[in-house]
Amino acid sequence: MDLENTKAQMRKGILEYCILSVLSKNSCYASDIIKELKEARVIVVEGTLYPLLTRQKNAGLLSYRWEESQQGPPRKYYELTSEGKEYLADLDKSWDELVESVNLIRTR
Amino acid sequence: MDKTIKINLGGTLFQIDEEAYKMLRKYLQDIDNRLRNTLGGAETVEDIELRIAEIFQSQGGSAGVISKENIEAMISIIGKPEDFETGSDEKETKAPYYHSTTRKKMYRNPDDTIISGVCGGIGAYLNIEAVWVRLLFILFTCFFGIGFFVYVALWIALPSAHSDPQKREMYGRDDYHTAAQKIKSGYSLKSGDSGYTPSGQAGSHVGNAFNEVFRALGKVLFIIVRIFLILVGITFVLCGFMALVSFIMVFFFKYPGYFSTHSFGVNLFYLPDFLNYIVNPVIAPWILVLSFIVILIPLLALIYWGVKMIFWFKAKDGIVSLIGLIIWVVSVAVLSLLLFNEGISYSETAKIVSEEIIDKAPSDLYIMSGNKIADLHFDKEISFNEEDYNVYFIDDNKGLFLSSGLNINNSDDKSVKVTVRKRSAGRSKSDATRKAEGLVYNYHIAGDTLYLDEYFTIPVGTRWSFDDVRVNLYIPDGTEVHFDKTTENMFRRQHYYNEDWNWSWDGEDKEMVRSDSGDNHWIMTEDGLRRRSESSEK
Repeated sequence: MDLENTKAQMRKGILEYCILSVLSKNSCYASDIIKELKEARVIVVEGTLYPLLTRQKNAGLLSYRWEESQQGPPRKYYELTSEGKEYLADLDKSWDELVESVNLIRTR
Repeated sequence: MDKTIKINLGGTLFQIDEEAYKMLRKYLQDIDNRLRNTLGGAETVEDIELRIAEIFQSQGGSAGVISKENIEAMISIIGKPEDFETGSDEKETKAPYYHSTTRKKMYRNPDDTIISGVCGGIGAYLNIEAVWVRLLFILFTCFFGIGFFVYVALWIALPSAHSDPQKREMYGRDDYHTAAQKIKSGYSLKSGDSGYTPSGQAGSHVGNAFNEVFRALGKVLFIIVRIFLILVGITFVLCGFMALVSFIMVFFFKYPGYFSTHSFGVNLFYLPDFLNYIVNPVIAPWILVLSFIVILIPLLALIYWGVKMIFWFKAKDGIVSLIGLIIWVVSVAVLSLLLFNEGISYSETAKIVSEEIIDKAPSDLYIMSGNKIADLHFDKEISFNEEDYNVYFIDDNKGLFLSSGLNINNSDDKSVKVTVRKRSAGRSKSDATRKAEGLVYNYHIAGDTLYLDEYFTIPVGTRWSFDDVRVNLYIPDGTEVHFDKTTENMFRRQHYYNEDWNWSWDGEDKEMVRSDSGDNHWIMTEDGLRRRSESSEK
């Protein structure tokens, strides 16, 4: 078994959940999300985020608006749609259940 | 030095050296290969391109040349495509595909413009070639100019799509620039769903021919409009400047210059000083300042617009204009309120009449002057020519002296009657009456001589309210009247504008008495008072 690979697989599973959680606080531009995810050590490279954002947007969980940036190209600001909020609430619940289950198994 | 290449990345231009360019191209190609077949892959690639542009700018700004090191640093941030952890397998996702969440909005299109980009914007909005929109506008201009007015209205109403996000909204799609910009950038990325060509870039042959014609017409029209605007601008600046100079001269230096202050039949010369007597002295300075603002702002705006029209520059003057407008409107409102409030103090007028009868009427009546205006040594004078109404100020005691009038009428009986009518205005009837009573006018009768003051006085502390004192003298038929110069003047002033008054008047200046003739000898007839020499001719 490859430890790194297992870790990566675990991260992958929760990445979408993390993105939605970051956005639940306020609308963010991609780099803001990346910063938070990097601080939380959920992702390693930025490239991971963009396909996920596109996918979540296409699934109707996110919407975005363009905003001019003082320096550099314009930025996409993402925010949760109402559908996205419901989706996140579901995930929150299942996450809690998951943590509970894992803890239960580990402490037994 | 290595060869550098210009590329366009996410709408920004970069200089990049050749080696770095190859690396970047390979990197983008890899990303494209990795993501091409995923849902919304093209869009994701564009997002990443935008991010790369941002990283490049933060590294050294778009001015510097991008090197291999920059590329390596960028890749370490974004990560290699094979390191992208994209979660579950894309192809399993069966989510509904939203083409674009960008709302479509109408703008003027600065990239496709003949006059102002209105047609280009509509074309982009409706996703048709702008040339057809232009034809429609010209067609409708033939019908009573409807097209023209609609065009101007849209020109004013629609903002120009300057920024990238606005253009996205205008075209209603995010990848509008792919065709145009990627050609420029020198490498072509195969973005699968981008089959759109911005109008004006490559259209039908007929459309292109029309476009050429429109472009030429547009240029001619533009030049004509420019010349017209420059002329209007020069007129604005000249008028504004002249008005400003004369305004400042009159307002501050009390110098009438070439602009007569008598232009409204009112000598406006001392109006600012006069204000203290008309309105509450406390608010007089406010009225002055507000009037100043109310006049000054439009003049400055006029000059500014003129300059802007002449030199045709763009300035971020929106906020300044708005503030100016707000100040002006507020000033006008406050000024109106103040003046309205002051005006109420003059809403009611009242007259009081005193009467004195001389029973034994003399056959010869001498009307002599008591106090004369000429002896007043007044500092300032305001004349209301139409009303033949003069106000004199003496700065020392702040009192006001006003010319009083004299009427002479045929009396019904044999007596001589003198009435003095005092008129004033006030907030209420009683206030007006009180003020009328306060007016000081002196006359007295001694034997066959009537002594009249040429002016009356408004006591210190009382406001001027177009007060008027008029002496009416009733004398029987055949009474001969002898004036002195001053009293004859008082009498004649009253009748200067009376067209029925049929007596010869040859002087231009009504103040001047014809002293040369020495004929101050008048007689009361059935038709009124006549010069003795004239009545005997009849």
